[in-house]
Amino acid sequence: MNRELQAAKAALSQLTVPGVTDASVTASTSRRSEFTVDSGKFSLLRTTLDHSLALMAVKDQRRGTVSGNSFDDAAIQSAVKDCLASADAGQPDPAWEIAKAGTGSFTTGAPEPDMDKLFSRTQELLDTIHREYPKVLLEQVVTAHTAGRGVYLNNHGVQYETTSGNYECWVMFSGHEGEKASSFNHAGFVTDNLDSPFIERSSLRQNLQDAENQIHTLQTEGKFTGTVIFTPDCLGGMVGELLGNYASDGVLLDGTSLWKDALDTQVVDKRITISMRPSDPRIVNGQKYTGEGFLAEDYDVIKDGVLKQFMLSAYGANKVGKKRAPNGSYAMIIAPGDTPLSDLIKNTKKGLLVSRYSGGAAGTSGEFSGVAKNSFLIEDGEIKQAVSETMISGNLAGMLNNLAGISQETVEDGISSLPWLAVEGISISGK
Amino acid sequence: MIPDIVSSLRDSFAPGAHSELRAQRSLARRVVLLGGNLVGNTRSDSQGVSARVYKNGVYGFASAADLSADAAKRALSTASKNAIFLDERVKPGKGALPDIASGVLPAQKDFKDLEQKRYLDFVTPLDEYINTKYEHLTSRTIVATADSMEKQILTSDGYAAHIFSPRAYVYVILNSQTKDGMPVEVFEAFGGPGSLDVALTSPEALFPKVDALYEHLMKKREGVFADAGKKTVILSGILSGILAHEAVGHTVEADLVLGGSVAGPMLNKMVASPLVSMTDFAHTAFGQPVELPVFVDDEGVLADDAELIKDGKLIGYMVNRETGRHFGMTPKGNARAYAFNDEPLIRMRNTAVHPGTSKLEDMIAATEDGYYMVHTNNGQADTTGEFMFGVSTGYEIKNGKLGRAIFDTTISGVAFDMLKTVDMVSDQMTWASSGFCGKKQPMTVSMGGPDLRCQVTIGGR
Repeated sequence: MNRELQAAKAALSQLTVPGVTDASVTASTSRRSEFTVDSGKFSLLRTTLDHSLALMAVKDQRRGTVSGNSFDDAAIQSAVKDCLASADAGQPDPAWEIAKAGTGSFTTGAPEPDMDKLFSRTQELLDTIHREYPKVLLEQVVTAHTAGRGVYLNNHGVQYETTSGNYECWVMFSGHEGEKASSFNHAGFVTDNLDSPFIERSSLRQNLQDAENQIHTLQTEGKFTGTVIFTPDCLGGMVGELLGNYASDGVLLDGTSLWKDALDTQVVDKRITISMRPSDPRIVNGQKYTGEGFLAEDYDVIKDGVLKQFMLSAYGANKVGKKRAPNGSYAMIIAPGDTPLSDLIKNTKKGLLVSRYSGGAAGTSGEFSGVAKNSFLIEDGEIKQAVSETMISGNLAGMLNNLAGISQETVEDGISSLPWLAVEGISISGK
Repeated sequence: MIPDIVSSLRDSFAPGAHSELRAQRSLARRVVLLGGNLVGNTRSDSQGVSARVYKNGVYGFASAADLSADAAKRALSTASKNAIFLDERVKPGKGALPDIASGVLPAQKDFKDLEQKRYLDFVTPLDEYINTKYEHLTSRTIVATADSMEKQILTSDGYAAHIFSPRAYVYVILNSQTKDGMPVEVFEAFGGPGSLDVALTSPEALFPKVDALYEHLMKKREGVFADAGKKTVILSGILSGILAHEAVGHTVEADLVLGGSVAGPMLNKMVASPLVSMTDFAHTAFGQPVELPVFVDDEGVLADDAELIKDGKLIGYMVNRETGRHFGMTPKGNARAYAFNDEPLIRMRNTAVHPGTSKLEDMIAATEDGYYMVHTNNGQADTTGEFMFGVSTGYEIKNGKLGRAIFDTTISGVAFDMLKTVDMVSDQMTWASSGFCGKKQPMTVSMGGPDLRCQVTIGGR
């Protein structure tokens, strides 16, 4: 028996005391090996060995959760005691639920690292950037391999075991010429292989090229209403905020979601389909089971513009009387359109191509306003100069009902697959 | 308190190599009441040891989730191997780090790790008070949270220390709607250093503060959208603190300076109005203890204040030992790691704009047409100094008087341009310490400042 399973079994047996109707334990170990490059130079090799132990108990309908990082007998006993004490202190709520059935063993990704090859891929990336993007200054590059093993057990006989591993690469940079500089930008990805140069992956080349073209900026004059094309890097965050404010546990539990009664109705343009697909081959080490012990399945949040499923936990679903989400991950796939990106740009009379958005939390109204970073002006169908001190504002749901088009191209980073998306009616303002 | 496992391991350091050992335990406690439902009730503990070894300009680091002397020795060995792996391939050829003062920090006082029931006992009456007293709420959320770091630090040539950094807060989030059905929200964090019973005496003591927050919400229900464009604005101390941290502080962290921040060419130049001075305080500011004191950092450097802007001139960066050597600056204790398995990074501590001499009421009276921005719900900036802050509570100023509340908006600008427009600075400091700064790792930080009158761009329809 591996030590994760041994620790999980020990904790579960102690957790299952009279009055406890639901109990679960997750035990995992991981090893991470990471290179850090600061200001373009290797600065650190870091190796971390970690444990994780998470306990949950529902006792007399009261729930307590505890997490720690030791598998020692004394630590497990202490965690069990704390978990039961937390449950005792809580309020009774019949909505708590965990899975009653499910078993599985999953091996995914690249469980074993090749550190020499990771080093050489990293060095190759630095050399390529230095050679091909001479105006780019690297603030930091982090490349790493993480290997992990985990076990989930609950008192209803549910048991899952996972073995997984992945590489990752994250790059932060800006363009420079003399004392002029672009805003910083970033790009990165998660992968299960080192087969191809990092520079060719995700949006790295595009964003590095853009940084060189964003050194000299134009400050937007006045205020106008225009079209904004969000790049995949920017779109993920915008849609994530939309779903958080309209379709997640918190806003449905407190009733502030503007979509709370909109299930099976059209909420956005019918060309938009947003899915959470952890089993999609473009997703690396996607979720296999939820935190409540249910086998993870893919689902559509919005299909052809119709709200099909809230992103609810089993608890949230029971509280509001809706279906729980078939997985608890954020493996977001937005379906591409049939318009080439070049045509989206050509069809834009006046607006912006926005790569990064720096804005305040939109809140449940969905109203957003923030700075368009790493962005270009588009006029008469052509990309013009990069802009600075330019703000965009609109409404998250409103803008998806004002769709100009979706690109046929997508960017995959191992976590999501997203297209470029053009929306009309965005307020754009400068000085 | 974690057992002392590092202080006897000085002999395990390789001769001549700069080495660090750290044993650490981090605790987090949290309860969440959403509309009266207990949706969060969690406790988290993590502990372990880490080692970092410097060799010719590169570092090796290793950690294990195990608090034992054997684990510490293994971490030192792996960290040394990692440093050699990089040194052999990169060959940076840099020499040893400059010497720093050595010694032992006097023992600090432990803190009380409260049982979970204490957090629930705090939020429950607060939730009942809000639910019973206030009308027109669409929802309410109360969060009690506490976190702490306990660290034993031993370095080959710096200070040894055993330190504790506890803090506790209660967040209150209130939601309502305008007459047209548009959701509006206000939020405030109450608390500070220490365990919950030290940071906040009782739920009842918070009632008047929550009443004031509710008043903001009721005014926001009747609010208006702010006009977009460049405006005269008075930033409250909360906002000037986040400005100090996000828009200026990050650009003067030496690693970001080397990464190309706007502050690189600005050293010893005027970057702000002469009314503006700014310091990253270590443990004491203006004669008072700061919210999150740092006495020794994770490189073993005895902490001192890092002066950043003096009378409008940029005079320093925040450095660690290595970047201090690069820039010829003395390390002041800014190298901090968040978890036991994190390496020290250059981090801010208690970063603040210094107070001035104006009174807030005079600043408002002297403003013909503008806004008073009171609370923020987030802030971001980049290495150019261009910043954005979300404003969750604010008011119009018309003819020298506060007017209608405004809905959520965003303010933006370029720090070293905007700071030159500061023409009034209040004499009242406000500090905030509940958040986390993000930079590869999270980190607990505090920030503060007086009210500032300046010109910024407001976003909006």
